[in-house]
Amino acid sequence: MSEPETETPGMNAASGYANPDVLVETDWVAERLNDPSIRLIEADEDILLYEVGHIAGAVKLDWHVDVQDKVTRDFVSQRDFEQLMSRWGITNDTTIVFYGDKNNWYAAYSFWLFTMYGHNKLKIMNGGRAKWEAEKRPFTKHVPHYEPTTYRAQPANETIRTFRDEVLAGLRNPGRRLIDVRSPQEYTGELIHMVNYPQEGAQRGGHIPGAKNIPWATAANPDGTFKSAEELRRIYSSNDVTPDKEVIAYCRIGERSAHTWFVLTYLLGYPRVRNYDGSWTEWGNVVRAPIEKP
Amino acid sequence: MDRQEAIEFLMDHYENPRNYGALDSADVSVSAGNPGCADVITMHARFAEDGTLEAVNWEGEGCTISRAAASYVTEIAQGMTADEIEQMSFEDLIEQLGRELVMTRPTCATLALGTLKRGVHDFTMHKHASE
Repeated sequence: MSEPETETPGMNAASGYANPDVLVETDWVAERLNDPSIRLIEADEDILLYEVGHIAGAVKLDWHVDVQDKVTRDFVSQRDFEQLMSRWGITNDTTIVFYGDKNNWYAAYSFWLFTMYGHNKLKIMNGGRAKWEAEKRPFTKHVPHYEPTTYRAQPANETIRTFRDEVLAGLRNPGRRLIDVRSPQEYTGELIHMVNYPQEGAQRGGHIPGAKNIPWATAANPDGTFKSAEELRRIYSSNDVTPDKEVIAYCRIGERSAHTWFVLTYLLGYPRVRNYDGSWTEWGNVVRAPIEKP
Repeated sequence: MDRQEAIEFLMDHYENPRNYGALDSADVSVSAGNPGCADVITMHARFAEDGTLEAVNWEGEGCTISRAAASYVTEIAQGMTADEIEQMSFEDLIEQLGRELVMTRPTCATLALGTLKRGVHDFTMHKHASE
């Protein structure tokens, strides 16, 4: 988990978040654009937004190129991750601040992945790109170049990741809660892919038996910031997803569910949350995988 | 076109959109959208006497790919007949826009072309019905 540090302006213990230091506000970022110990990383769902303009000093995390294994459906190796960090001028002591579009959707996915590789100075800029833009803060097109650094990653720590067989084995575990963070139409099987993503569909629609439908964006305010701790607790506990449970979140490829993983783990302090990134693109295509429909 | 070339190509159309705006005396004005990502595109077109498109414009809001694609479609569609528009392939468009990049958002990439095809088809059907 990220190292605790001095409380940041606007995000203190009064927020009620379990780890308030993982969220920083836009003014905090604006005051530190020239801080060499901080590296901004923009991770967007809209793939060209970085080129449209980005926060000064930020590098672009291109999800389709930078962190995907080129052959197997998996993430890059430990070594490739180290090379990526080196290219971005990141050391093991760098504080990385993620931000992006759409409620920090891909920023949270990145946070999850970087956590797996052991980087423990991670933050998300609350409200992401949208809030920065709404506050009329400047963007730049200048792409920064950093001197390569030496970076040492850990082997992927998969205690925050789970796989199909593990999900299947625990379907009757009363101490586990499955959260399907997709849209209600995907959850019921009315849609077998997210709107606009026909290439990420499945043979079958529905959800994993026992899963509760709590769409990922429920955790965000209209301005893209995360809801209050109180509101978040209410959302999840009213669905019987409580801190004493082992929780697995999934969506279609694990990117929306990483947002929920972040909320539960870092904002609410749930101790046992994992992201099933195989998600519905895997489960909905597996022969004889049990499926539930309303 | 490699990935960087595709990025530059799409960014050029996004930042310097061709044929943006309303169209006088349009024969086609049709809107369509992608629910879930807030893309809404309106395609306008006007046919010349010889049955070719003498003007194709677009308006709307949306993601970078949908806007860039709309700009590009208005460029390539000019001078085409209704038949040629209806024959245009979504796959070819995706290839021309940069498949590696736009395959992450195929419905955004093809929204403008699909909208234009629908408008041209409807216009053609009405024209034949009235003749």
